[in-house]
Amino acid sequence: MNAFADLVDGFGTVLTPQNLLYAAIGVTVGTLVGMLPGIGPALTIALLLPVALELDDPTGTLIMFAGIYYGAMYGGSTTSILLNTPGESASVATSIEGYQMARRGRARAALATAAIGSFVAAIITTVLLTFVTEPMARLAVSFRASDYFALALLAMVTVTAVVGASLVRGLMSLTFGLFLGVVGIDALTGQARFTFGVASMLDGIDVVVVIVGLFAVGEALFIASRLRDLPEKPVPLEPATGFAWLSRADWARSWRPWLRGTALGFPFGALPSGGAELPTFLSYMYEKRRAKNKDEFGRGAIEGVAGPEAANNASFSGVLVPLLTLGIPTSATAAVMLAAFSYFNLSPGPQLFQTQSSLVWALIASLFVGNVLLLALNLPLIRLWVKVLQVPRPLLYAGILVFATLGVYAVSGNIVDVLLAYGIGLVAMLMRHLDFPIAPAILGLILGPLMETQFRRALLLADGDLSIFVTRPLTLALLLLAVAALALPHLPKLFRGRRADRLAVVTGED
Amino acid sequence: MTEPGRPEASPLAGLAAGVVLVAAGLALFARALVVGADRGVTLGGPTFAPLVVTGLWVVVAGLYLGTQVVAWRRRTPATDDGPRPAWRAPLLLLALLVTYAFVLKYTAVGYVLATLAFYIGAAQLLSTRPFREVIARDAIVGLALSLTVYLAFTKLLGIVLPAGVLPL
Repeated sequence: MNAFADLVDGFGTVLTPQNLLYAAIGVTVGTLVGMLPGIGPALTIALLLPVALELDDPTGTLIMFAGIYYGAMYGGSTTSILLNTPGESASVATSIEGYQMARRGRARAALATAAIGSFVAAIITTVLLTFVTEPMARLAVSFRASDYFALALLAMVTVTAVVGASLVRGLMSLTFGLFLGVVGIDALTGQARFTFGVASMLDGIDVVVVIVGLFAVGEALFIASRLRDLPEKPVPLEPATGFAWLSRADWARSWRPWLRGTALGFPFGALPSGGAELPTFLSYMYEKRRAKNKDEFGRGAIEGVAGPEAANNASFSGVLVPLLTLGIPTSATAAVMLAAFSYFNLSPGPQLFQTQSSLVWALIASLFVGNVLLLALNLPLIRLWVKVLQVPRPLLYAGILVFATLGVYAVSGNIVDVLLAYGIGLVAMLMRHLDFPIAPAILGLILGPLMETQFRRALLLADGDLSIFVTRPLTLALLLLAVAALALPHLPKLFRGRRADRLAVVTGED
Repeated sequence: MTEPGRPEASPLAGLAAGVVLVAAGLALFARALVVGADRGVTLGGPTFAPLVVTGLWVVVAGLYLGTQVVAWRRRTPATDDGPRPAWRAPLLLLALLVTYAFVLKYTAVGYVLATLAFYIGAAQLLSTRPFREVIARDAIVGLALSLTVYLAFTKLLGIVLPAGVLPL
C-alpha cells in the first residue's frame, strides 16, 4: 500500500527530538488551555501563531497545533468531569454522566475511560485518515470552482444549523463573520470595502484579531460581568485515591461504547457539517437507549462518558479530511489551522498532497505520536492538572488578556488591530449574554472570502453564465444538500432540548 | 441601550439587541448600496458580495427581532432568581485595555511596567476581594509574567517589544 510507505516516511520526520518536543509542548499546552472555560484550541493556536512564524518551521508548527487540539479535547473533558463546566459544546455530553461519576467518587474511572477512549478513537480514525485522504485528494482534483463554492456554502449552512440555541442566532453570528470577511481591499479589483477610511483596514481583518476578540477578550469581559455569581476559585472534585484506574467491569462496559463513538465521530467530522457536537450527543443518546441498566444513566454510567469522548476525538480526525484535501474548514479550530497554513504560504487542497506530501504525512504521523504522548502525560499527571484548575480566576484572566494583547500586537504591531480585537470582544461578551453561538462567526470570516473567490472564478470560467451552478451535477447536488441542511435543525432539536435542560440543571446547581 | 438587568433571560435586552442589529444592518446595507450605485453592480464584481452580506444581515436581524418581539409579548412578570450581570466591571476593564494599548504604543513606559500595571488593575477588576488583600500576590505574579514574556520575546524569539524606561 502506497499510503503505508508514505506514513512510514512521515514517522521518520516526526520521530526527531525536535519534532517530538513540539508534539510534547503541543499536548501539554493544549491540555492546560482545554481546562480553562471559554479558552479553547482555536484561541491557543491563534495566540501561538506569531511565535510559530518566528520559529519558521511549518512541519514542527503543525505537529504542535495537532497536539494542542488533542490536548485541549482531553483538558476539556477533565474540566467537564471534575467541575461540571464544559468548556465547549462538544464536552457537554461527557459532563452529564462524567460529573455524576465524580460525585460518587468514581472520578478516576471517568477520567480514565475518557482518556483511553479518546486514545482508541484517535488511533483508529488516524488509520482511517491515512487511507482516506489520498483517494479523497485525487477525487478533489476534479472539483471545479462552482463545486468549491457550493461546498463552502454547505459547510457554513450545516455548521450554523447544528450549533447553538437557535437557527436565527446562528445565522446572525454567521452573517457577522461574513461581514468581517468582506472588509478590506478586494483581491481581484483593488476596490476598498467597508474600510471607513482607515488605512490599516485595507488588508482586511486578520483572523487572529477576530479570534482573540471573540474568545479571549469576550470571555474575560463576560467573566467580569458575572463576578458576583462566581466563586473566586473553582472547587474541583478530588480524583479519589488508589491506583486502580479502570476495573475489569469498567473495561467490559467501556470498549463497545468507545468503538461505537468512534464509528459515529469520524464520518460526522468528515462531512461538511463537521464539528463534534452532533456525534457526541448521538453517541450519548445511543448508549443510553441500548444500556441494560437505564436507571443508572443520570447517576454516573460509564458508557455515557466512554461513548461521547471517543466520538469527540474521532470527529477531529474526520474534520482533517475536508481540511487537508479540499481546504474547507468545518470547525472554528480547523478554520484557524487553515489560517496557519496560509501564514506559511501553504494552501490545503488537492495540490498539497503533491507539493507538500512529506508535510502532510508528517502531520498524520504526528497524530499517532501526539496521542501516545497525551496518554502517557495525562493519566499520571492528573493531580497536577487539577492544581491548574485551582488558579484564582482574576490571575488567570488578567494573564489571558496580557497574552491576547501580546498576540495581536506581535502579529501586526498595529494599534488599530488591538482596538478592533477589544471591540470584537465587547460584541462577543454581549453574544454570550444573549446566547449567540461563536463558531459560525469564525467560519463566516474564513469561508466567506473563499466562497466569493470561487463564485467569481466560476462565473469567469462560464463567461458570466449563472447556470453553471445548476447545470453541473456535483454543484447542484451540493447546493441542494445545503438547502436540505437548513431543514436539518428540526432533527437535532431533540438533542438541543436535552442540552438546554442539562444547562438549566448546571446553573441551578451552582 | 441594553437594560442593566439580566440579559440571559430578559426579553428587553433581546429586543434592544434586535433593534440595534436591524439598525446596523440597514446602515451597512445603505452604504453598500451607495457604493454599488457609484461603481456599478455586476455579478462577478467587487460590489456584489457586500450587498449580499449586508442584505442577509438585514433579513436575519429582522427575523431575530421578530422572535424577540414574540418573546416580549409572552414575557411573564419578572421573577428575580437568576444571576444578574453587572456592567461596571467589564466596561472599566475595557477602558483599562484601551489605555494599556495606547500606553504600549505611544509612551516610553515600556512593556514590562505597562504590563505590570495593567495586570494588577485587571486582576483587581476581575476579583471580588479587597485591593490590599491581593495586591502583593497580583504584583508578584504580574512582574514575573511581564518579565518572562519580555525576555522570551526579545531575547529568544527576536520579536521587539518596547523596552521603555527600564534598563533591560
